[in-house]
Amino acid sequence: MFNKEMEKGGLKDVETVIGPSVKVKGDFHGQGNIIVEGIVEGSIKTGNSLYVGDKAKVTANIEAKDARIGGEIVGNVKVKGHLEIAANARIMGDIEAASLAVSRGAILNGNCSMVAEKEQRKS
Amino acid sequence: MHVYIYDSFVNHKKYNNILARIETRLTDLGLNGKICRLGAMKNIREMVKSELSRGAKTIVAVGNDQTVSQVLNALAQSTDPAPYQKTLNPTPPMGIIPVNGENNSIAAALGIGPGEEACETLSARRVEKLDLGMANDAYFLSTASITNQGTVVTIKNYSVELLEEGEINIINLPPKEMVLPREAIFNPQDGFLDLLIQTKKNKKRLFAGAQEMSQSVFPVTLLSLSNDRGRPLLLDGSLEVRSPAEIKLIKKKLNIIVGKERNF
Repeated sequence: MFNKEMEKGGLKDVETVIGPSVKVKGDFHGQGNIIVEGIVEGSIKTGNSLYVGDKAKVTANIEAKDARIGGEIVGNVKVKGHLEIAANARIMGDIEAASLAVSRGAILNGNCSMVAEKEQRKS
Repeated sequence: MHVYIYDSFVNHKKYNNILARIETRLTDLGLNGKICRLGAMKNIREMVKSELSRGAKTIVAVGNDQTVSQVLNALAQSTDPAPYQKTLNPTPPMGIIPVNGENNSIAAALGIGPGEEACETLSARRVEKLDLGMANDAYFLSTASITNQGTVVTIKNYSVELLEEGEINIINLPPKEMVLPREAIFNPQDGFLDLLIQTKKNKKRLFAGAQEMSQSVFPVTLLSLSNDRGRPLLLDGSLEVRSPAEIKLIKKKLNIIVGKERNF
């Protein structure tokens, strides 16, 4: 059996958990780690890690330091560090990251640009 | 001087023995002080205010969570700053002596054992500054809870809509028995309240009727709650506040004596 930490990318000290039976509308900005398993409409921004579960539905632009994306995303994803796109992910939007891993089966409809971390800091 | 506020329920004769043991232990530890008893005709706020003006250095709630909630509100409201004051008045430390085993989740979360164990904690006098939650004009230390049916939560910049039936808790100090998401942090000193939404989701695959819990957590400092069915908000499991309610965090408002085994 997988334990929860494995399932959620080893995220600890999570500030926000958006569970499967919750819908968040608006601009959701935080500094800590965020887990999204439910529905988000608006924007998500965090200075730390973001985990989007396989059943999540996100209609929002996303900004994070590192991210693991599963589920359905309609919007642009901008990550300063590492972006992991899981097999169940369906992304309709552009992605931008310093490093990228895409699992087999993931769907990406949009532009992909790779920006080195140093360049991002300059800009 | 220590002032001990005894809840009215401890007057029952079944508590005579435990109270006698507590009082003996307090005398042994040199912590004896004035005993005030709550009753239907006594105003706790006036009682606390007058004891503070007489120089009480520690106010101790002797009873259960309900006693803690009453004493906490009286203490915090007595030291609220006047509208022209910009800084908070210092609150003298509050202690807790839980008398019966039940309904003492606040003391347990603070690492305070029942009866005579609590006297040792008072004697060790580890004082921590904790945040408090405030719903309209009433304070809470642990949780504020309301059913989510007909409840609307509004937070700055975003709103939260609940898709299943369940319960909404605003947590400052989590009770020991509460089941919380393992990855999340709850701390009464972090400058945030945590909005915990627990919903029950029907699990159709395995057993009919079985339910699984879904939890969401949001850090907040200010939120508003309203319930169109007139359900009240329950503070610390004992004090009812009518909705709509504005809930906010008051940083480091309470000095409280805690035990080693505390939750944070």
